[in-house]
Amino acid sequence: MKKYWAIFKLQLANGLAYPGEFIGRSLLILPFMWIFFQLWRVTFEASGGAEINGLTLRSTLWYLVIAEVIELSRPRVANTISEAVKDGSIAYILSKPYNFLWYHYSSSLADTIFRALLNLVLGGGVAWLLVGPPPSLWGLLAVLPLLMGAWALNYCIAALIGLLAFWVEDTSAFQWIYQKLAFILGGLLIPLDFYPAWLRSIADVLPFSAVTYAPARLFVEPSLNGFLAALGQQALWLLVFAGGLGLLYRRSVTVLTVNGG
Amino acid sequence: MAAITVRELRKTFQTKHKAAGLRGSFRSLFRPQYATVEAVRGISFEMEPGELLGFIGPNGAGKSTTIKMLTGILHPTAGEADVLGYCPWRERQKLAHHIGTVFGQRPQLWYHLPAMDTFTLFGKIYDLDDAETRRRIAFLAEAFEIQDLLDTPVRKLSLGQRMRCEVAASLLHRPRLLLLDEPSIGLDVVAKQHIRDAIRTMSREEGVGVLLTSHDAGDLEALCHRVIIVHHGQIVYQDKVSNLKRKFLTRKTVEVRYAEEVAKDFHLEGMQTLKTGRYGVKLEFDTQRTPADAVLARLSAAGTLVDITISDPPLEEVIARIYESAASEVDGQ
Repeated sequence: MKKYWAIFKLQLANGLAYPGEFIGRSLLILPFMWIFFQLWRVTFEASGGAEINGLTLRSTLWYLVIAEVIELSRPRVANTISEAVKDGSIAYILSKPYNFLWYHYSSSLADTIFRALLNLVLGGGVAWLLVGPPPSLWGLLAVLPLLMGAWALNYCIAALIGLLAFWVEDTSAFQWIYQKLAFILGGLLIPLDFYPAWLRSIADVLPFSAVTYAPARLFVEPSLNGFLAALGQQALWLLVFAGGLGLLYRRSVTVLTVNGG
Repeated sequence: MAAITVRELRKTFQTKHKAAGLRGSFRSLFRPQYATVEAVRGISFEMEPGELLGFIGPNGAGKSTTIKMLTGILHPTAGEADVLGYCPWRERQKLAHHIGTVFGQRPQLWYHLPAMDTFTLFGKIYDLDDAETRRRIAFLAEAFEIQDLLDTPVRKLSLGQRMRCEVAASLLHRPRLLLLDEPSIGLDVVAKQHIRDAIRTMSREEGVGVLLTSHDAGDLEALCHRVIIVHHGQIVYQDKVSNLKRKFLTRKTVEVRYAEEVAKDFHLEGMQTLKTGRYGVKLEFDTQRTPADAVLARLSAAGTLVDITISDPPLEEVIARIYESAASEVDGQ
């Protein structure tokens, strides 16, 4: 584990090599929060009530903070892996005594944590100014393990897509599809609570809601049951995707064609 | 026991084939056609521990593919290999502790960070304790003359400086075998010399075996004891470098520039004139027939020398001559 910790730390340092670019990208959450605040304010006013399907304006905006933190701090793992396959730099990673998948997980986690912290401070700051403090501070405590689960699950799905580069020349179409599915069925733009029942029931049985919706929803309404249910949902999907990733990786290595060979 | 034993190693790739133009693109979309490329076609050789072995050939000869199979990165289509007692593609991670690798065109140092950071990371990855890592870095920094470069972000180093750091990094964990894929590619003469000196020193002092691919005959002459020449995925020649030099690297090209104008029919005994210009002339000679000192004496006697360059023929030419001699041997039998 020591070596992966070292990789994690070095990637943190690497992330700070260009602080300007790093902070600049994180500022994106500010206009997002402002636009969504305006949209939901009008929606809540039009509905005439303080709540829509169990969410108030305040909890909806704080839900969006966590959902955006998860989305915007998501490192481009699929892209990194597929580029490493395409440009041949995968040769170095494979010729060192560490596991390829754990190597990428450690470095992607380092990228994620910095971005997540910055997005949380900036996005949370805006939400606090617009609608007041988060509904419950317990939510922050409950959401931390779920964020780890969300990142791990996102990593497995993204790495699976990245490994497809062993077979297809360009994985960007798959990355695009995953991102859009995460937007819609993960509940990034609209909480799943506002969806029609049929769409909600589809989203509930797919993995995307375990990445975005489950942690964000628990944050605004923490409960032990909700926490255990979200954790269970993540664990189940993690088992499926980590297993699939392991199998695909083993298969990939045997078909490996390093470019420029 | 040999450090490397390779038996009938083969690697075949499938590459997608597409006709030119929009029509070709559409056709390939619905009915993709694949071509089979035989990158390595039944290579067998052995390498002794501590040996400096050159693995050379023109671009696309199958050198890098072979080296990648020997590190376990690529799985072969057929054949066997034993590297330091391990089967590379089945025991890649175990083997990784005992070998160092440098793939010339691909950096292993973290680009935006000082080289020292990657060195320290490698210490952790290869399970060295911190004190040992520090001692080893100090030793390598001196051997490769990179003391002043270690704290500079890698992106700000010149290619020659970076390559010295790359090779030094690959030796951090005291590997028994160093696999260098085109370590001198893109380097100027001075930088090439630096790298070659450092590799030779490390091999002598630590007994590390070096398998080096290159398409530069100079790497071979300066570094290797023995050479294997590959072409179209097959071994076309293997022998001691001294024998190769005696047999095939005897022709040199010399370019001179005089202070005075040179005659159009410029000719010197024992040399063949390839090209004449107003002040310059390009000649070729065979070191076995005309020694280099005689060449120099005749050139300086012919006028006032301003500049002179003596170079080896390109490797492609050497390989063509090896082919010719192999063919004439077959004819003679």
